Amino acid sequence: MTNIDRDRIMTPRTWPMISVVAALLAVTQAGAQMRWSPTVVVDPEGPWTGRRLADHQPDVQGVWSNDIANHDNFTDPQGGIPGDPSKGLHVANGAVDRPVKPRSERAPSRVSDPADGEVPFQPWARAKQQEFLANFFNPTKQEYIEPGAHCAPAGVPKSLYWHGYEIRQYPGIVLFLFNGGTRIIYLDSRPHLPSTIKLWNADSRGHWEGNTLVVDVSNNNAKARFGRTGEFASENVHVVEHYTFAAGHYTYKAVFTDPYVYTRPFTVTIPAHRITESTPQDGWHNEQEWANQPPGKPPLYENYERVCVENNHGHGAVVASGKPAENTAPVSTK
Amino acid sequence: MTAKSMTTGDSPGPAWSCICLVVVLFAASAAAAEAPHATRLTGIARAADGRPDLSGIWQVISTADFDLEPHSTRKDAPPGAGVIEGDSIPYLPSAMKQRQANFAARDKLDPRLQCFTLGVPRDNYYPEPFQILQRPRDLTLIYEFGNSVRTIHTNGTLHPAGDNPEFWLGDSRGSWEGDTLVVDVTDFTDKTWLDRAGNFHSDALHVIERWTPLDRDHLEYRATLEDPKVFTRPWTLSVILYRLKDKNIQLIENYCYTLDYDRYYPFPGEGLPSGAP
Repeated sequence: MTNIDRDRIMTPRTWPMISVVAALLAVTQAGAQMRWSPTVVVDPEGPWTGRRLADHQPDVQGVWSNDIANHDNFTDPQGGIPGDPSKGLHVANGAVDRPVKPRSERAPSRVSDPADGEVPFQPWARAKQQEFLANFFNPTKQEYIEPGAHCAPAGVPKSLYWHGYEIRQYPGIVLFLFNGGTRIIYLDSRPHLPSTIKLWNADSRGHWEGNTLVVDVSNNNAKARFGRTGEFASENVHVVEHYTFAAGHYTYKAVFTDPYVYTRPFTVTIPAHRITESTPQDGWHNEQEWANQPPGKPPLYENYERVCVENNHGHGAVVASGKPAENTAPVSTK
Repeated sequence: MTAKSMTTGDSPGPAWSCICLVVVLFAASAAAAEAPHATRLTGIARAADGRPDLSGIWQVISTADFDLEPHSTRKDAPPGAGVIEGDSIPYLPSAMKQRQANFAARDKLDPRLQCFTLGVPRDNYYPEPFQILQRPRDLTLIYEFGNSVRTIHTNGTLHPAGDNPEFWLGDSRGSWEGDTLVVDVTDFTDKTWLDRAGNFHSDALHVIERWTPLDRDHLEYRATLEDPKVFTRPWTLSVILYRLKDKNIQLIENYCYTLDYDRYYPFPGEGLPSGAP
């Protein structure tokens, strides 16, 4: 199979495939200009000096998208998927400048600690990650197909580098509307859900410290992967996220702790920028449509509804046998 | 206002309830005598902009999703008196045949069984909670079933122009008439059903919703459906939505469409031989 299908499974409304192809071509052309940055900008934590909402939260509403790359490769974000038979040229790989630049000119790993940029996997877990990656391009078992190809939510942290997304805020709540999936972050002191409840997008409790939204994340079902390179956590993973906002930019830093899988906690850093009405539509960072404004009103973007499984049961969810991964029956695997 | 007290669960006696009911009925009839725009309800939650605050987690207590029309009990549905003004849906003859075929195969064809987005109005009376989050510019409705996200724009924008797209939840543009949120919903797909009994519509569906607070914890939800391909005339359903007040109530994500494949994605450490962590 190709990854053309895989990369655009979350289509707004019921796009015919031809539109998807057209969008991909447009994306490829846009990528020749400035699609991804090789530089990680880190915003310092401190006081918030910008606009506030009625409940005194910093007002960070709007559409955001990560600066660096898509989800092809977690620790070498602009390096493409190792083992890619198209040598980085496949259409899905919007993250790669073509030809692929030397490692030193590509964005650093999303793992900012430890310094080697690698997830500190225990040996057995590293082997599992490598097994997923080795089978990614020719999946002979369902488990080698990324869950997103079935329309599953991208989870934590992959949602943050899977297309642009919108933040809406309400008294006591920060809402993330991702291309695939939703997170409702409660800012009150209510306890997490009972630990036996496991969720694709986990369970989030947050509070503001100056310009930083601090979120405690638990109840993860551990089914999502961090990227096409197959990194993962267990259901016991505990994540503490820091979303540190500046004007038009923010930095996500999250510490992942999971003694079952890792040898030590590690830190993920993801820089992101704001999408505005002056940002062109590009099918990745900015997937919004122009609102139909009455005459005399300024241009305004809005997001259309998102459906996925309704369109196609996740086209791309195909094992090497060629049989589609239907919802209702297990697929025979070699 | 007395209606607020009625819902607190403070063990009012039967006589007390009866008095309250009379008061509420009197208030309702007085309000009805006024022009809609003049109506300003008391005892309801209000947002900073003075509009009714519909924020909260809501759910019906109704058998509407089993069958909108009056029905006796059957194997797959508890009985219900129906939620339609005039009791029955005015189908065109050809559409009635389709409805009957849908009903006969409802255990296979209901889109709910695939966890597809339920659509409007069905999502609002499906027996699972949904959350309304409100800003002056829009209301966001998150339906626990399938985690469907709907935006009702209240910023003066219009339905999409030109060659309209089709949406599972329709395109929703709302405005306030007094204390009632009136939402015009268009641009539907024909893929959704109205209930588990096979009641349906076409892509020509047009829905006008009226959301009116009754007190802090109850909303009246009315939807008028017109669809010249399926119905002989517009018709209206109405249900009451109840605020969920359980301690620490929150939506629990229900991506039910993942249930058929999530077994393929166990935590990779499961089933490891002994010696593994």
